[in-house]
Amino acid sequence: MARLRAAPYVFVAPFVAMFLAFSVYPMVFTVRLSFTSWRGAGDPVWIGWDNYSYLLTNDRFWGSLWNSAALWLLIVPVQLVVGVIVAVLLNSAKLRLRGMYRVAFIVPFVTPLVAVAQIWVVLFDQSYGAINSLFALVGLPEVGWLTTSTWAKPTLALLFLWKTTGFIVIILLSGLQSIKPVLYESASLDGASWSQQLRSITVPLIRPTIMFVVVLQTLAVFQMFAEPFVVTQGGPYSSTTTAGYFLYNQINRADLGTGAATSLLLVVAVMALSLMFVRMLRAEDGS
Amino acid sequence: MTATDHSPKPARTRRLVSWQYARTFAIHGVLLLLMVAFLAPVVWAILSSFKQANGIIRAPLVFDPSSFTLDNYTSMFEDVPIVRGFSNTAVVLVFKGAITMFFAPLAAFAFAKYDFKGKNVIFGMVLVTLMLPTIVLIIPLLLEMKTLGWVNTYQGLILPGAVDAFAIFWMRQVIRAVPDDLLAAARIDGCSEFGIFWRVIVPVIRPGLAGLAVLTIMNIYNDFVWPVVVASSDDRATLQVVLSSLAQNITGNRIGADYATVTGELLAAASVALIPLLIFFILLQRHFINGILAGSVKG
Repeated sequence: MARLRAAPYVFVAPFVAMFLAFSVYPMVFTVRLSFTSWRGAGDPVWIGWDNYSYLLTNDRFWGSLWNSAALWLLIVPVQLVVGVIVAVLLNSAKLRLRGMYRVAFIVPFVTPLVAVAQIWVVLFDQSYGAINSLFALVGLPEVGWLTTSTWAKPTLALLFLWKTTGFIVIILLSGLQSIKPVLYESASLDGASWSQQLRSITVPLIRPTIMFVVVLQTLAVFQMFAEPFVVTQGGPYSSTTTAGYFLYNQINRADLGTGAATSLLLVVAVMALSLMFVRMLRAEDGS
Repeated sequence: MTATDHSPKPARTRRLVSWQYARTFAIHGVLLLLMVAFLAPVVWAILSSFKQANGIIRAPLVFDPSSFTLDNYTSMFEDVPIVRGFSNTAVVLVFKGAITMFFAPLAAFAFAKYDFKGKNVIFGMVLVTLMLPTIVLIIPLLLEMKTLGWVNTYQGLILPGAVDAFAIFWMRQVIRAVPDDLLAAARIDGCSEFGIFWRVIVPVIRPGLAGLAVLTIMNIYNDFVWPVVVASSDDRATLQVVLSSLAQNITGNRIGADYATVTGELLAAASVALIPLLIFFILLQRHFINGILAGSVKG
């Protein structure tokens, strides 16, 4: 059965070819580039670990990581709490209009990010935006959502939350659907309250799904680029220069050696964070 | 949940029933509030795009249907190369979409139904591609495109990432559920290995493919980071790239730009970009949501 043996190789060949051309080759290139100084023309100059030591002592690099970390704090915990509660509500027995809610919640996720980011710019404009008009209506003061370094991060976080929470709810819902209803029935017979059931049945049983969401969103937040690119251009005062936007700045300035080193440090940071979360949740599981 | 009180009930049951009502009421209250929050920005933007440009910034919360106009749209179509953006996106959508929809399930078929030397290594490549942040590859990929002469070309937009790793991963789960007997029967009937894929697997996994199609179309239509890097010139800019340059006109201090006009055009452009995808999604949402519900990690 020669054809049986050859067939799978033929089937995966297109993927492998693309992988070699557009993942492996660039990856190897990045590693080499990160040890050079190169501005996109002429020959790259080998400078050893200089890019790395430059970055690791650079305030702007650390600042961008801090901005990403702050956004992470504003986004992931909020999204998990809201996501789990909404998913549980959507999963309640005999809920009417379930389909309508599901569709409505996922609309932000399917709308193009760039279009939505632009709408954000208009909505949150300090003098002309709808949000400040709404604030004025109820007697709240005018807020510089995108023009002050205090508010720019929360405003971007809100955009991210608005855009992705519905999708996260659906993922969590898929975890919830694998829990047997019998568990809840016997728990309520034993007189367990809603919050007790949430804490001792729901959350422990969907821990793998929660872990998946945390890792997924950690990767997404640390790569966040389009939001600051469209809404704030990294400002005001670099307060929304995320790690992803910092990297873009280097590409833009054709500082390619440093950019390559930045992207590799970023990969290490993101992978380390993801592994840490996986470990943390596993360890909690064991106790 | 209609409580028909024909016979007098004991007080305890009645209290239970009214408590249940309160509970249902509260659940719907929370969900409705959230629904409004999720839909409001989109609805506001689409409605505002029909207002006079001045009205959008003077009175953002006032809507008067009798004074609705298409002015923002006419000036937007004049000032913004949005039609070219649409046609570029359409080209990428057709070719990249076709490549993903054909080659990803094909590779997934090999991973799901064959044993072959190196399978684990090659599947490891799929997992690595899944985990690797896309921004890492952007610099070298851009340089590779420069060497190939693919900057600002359709090939440059289409080929990288065309055989999508997530699609392979998802379809592998789907194809695994197809009974092996079906394949064996087809083999006995003299079907070729590709024939098995084409005539047995593809028809059986059609629901999964529908879900994948919805996701793929959305991803390609909304893709931004790679297009803005590789195709920033006007003649190959995709719809999202065209859109992104508009917002910068507002925030990036375009000298002499009239804020109201730019805002009006921006909302019109955003609406034009939003509406086709929203209609598409609402028509096909069942496939997409069921796809996620069935295909993601199980607890």
